[in-house]
Amino acid sequence: MEFKQVVGDRRTIRYFDPSKPVEIEKIQIMLEAANRASKSVNGDYARAVVCYRDELSESTLEQLKTPTTTVQLDLAPVAIFWYGSSDYVNTGQERLKQLVDVGALNSTHGWSHAYVDEVAYTHVVKPFSQDPALNLWMVSVECGQAIAHALLAGVDEGLGVALSAFNAEVAKKALKISDDMIPMWVMLVGYPAEDPKAGGQRPRRPLSEQFYRGQWGTPFEEDPKVTERLRQEGMIQAAADGGPARRQEIRELAERFGLPQ
Amino acid sequence: MDNTPGGSGSPAGIRSFTTVGQWLNRSGHDTQPAEVQARYLDVLAKFVDHDGKDPDELVAYCFLRKRDTGLRFVSSKRRVAVNESIDAFVTAQGWVGKEAVANANVIRSFLIHNGVFIQGKAWTR
Repeated sequence: MEFKQVVGDRRTIRYFDPSKPVEIEKIQIMLEAANRASKSVNGDYARAVVCYRDELSESTLEQLKTPTTTVQLDLAPVAIFWYGSSDYVNTGQERLKQLVDVGALNSTHGWSHAYVDEVAYTHVVKPFSQDPALNLWMVSVECGQAIAHALLAGVDEGLGVALSAFNAEVAKKALKISDDMIPMWVMLVGYPAEDPKAGGQRPRRPLSEQFYRGQWGTPFEEDPKVTERLRQEGMIQAAADGGPARRQEIRELAERFGLPQ
Repeated sequence: MDNTPGGSGSPAGIRSFTTVGQWLNRSGHDTQPAEVQARYLDVLAKFVDHDGKDPDELVAYCFLRKRDTGLRFVSSKRRVAVNESIDAFVTAQGWVGKEAVANANVIRSFLIHNGVFIQGKAWTR
């Protein structure tokens, strides 16, 4: 699928076909997409536990279900629990020097082994990792990029995906997560039981209300011709309106799965 | 619990509670055929009879207030307790399969449309 179409097609899918299996190779593709995301210090921030619902023991699955997570875990055949790791502090020095060696970080931009050892690692990376707020910011931003890659790869593979909060305490115990992991999101994966368009794209605000040119407050003005091109290429699609067709679809899904209406 | 005709434990009486009216209105159930509404109300009426709180009390039970701000929030522990009460009720009724899931979720629908974020099982077969 073309990139713009993938971006345009992504939705938070909330109704999965619970009995349609997800091919393991598609999960591998999603994880590799996460692995290929931009990574500062070339660190491995994003960690994940892939859980096929039907492979979990009944007791583990029941532990993971809380009064706010039961429906999604019942419906999604796969749940990927994402965590953030601060391990970059242990690997950063050597990874940065490796990037120098392979020609990614070059003297043209001031990089050298000596700079890594004496400045970049000692005065930037290490102090970052020791400041809880900075560390959380760093790990979260880096994980977000990896998770977004995995989401889009899933869409590209024809899957439905969703990010959801989860009960970190319960998951830690049930999945034997190590103490140093920072909980991020659970990614639900499966084939959509709803229309993959899920009623249309979620309402978004104009670029000019969020992005600026040159200085804060000067709106970035959209070029209508570009906007039209993005419509034609699938990045911008019809917005969700919650109209009768969508309401009817939700009623039918609720009936099918016995869900509250 | 008032089990007399028109009391909170009866389908007819339960409709007079504020939270039940809100549920029917907000969910659109009040536009459903009379027999569908009657079925939903019957499930809720039996549940409140089982649980021992009237509908308004049941919703109020799910919430606590922050000591410092007075703002209302859903109590996680009480939500778990309500879910357990729903499960016990469904078992006591002898409902199984999809009927059990759907009827339990009728009660959750009542709670949801009164501001209680709560989930139970989905029927996946």
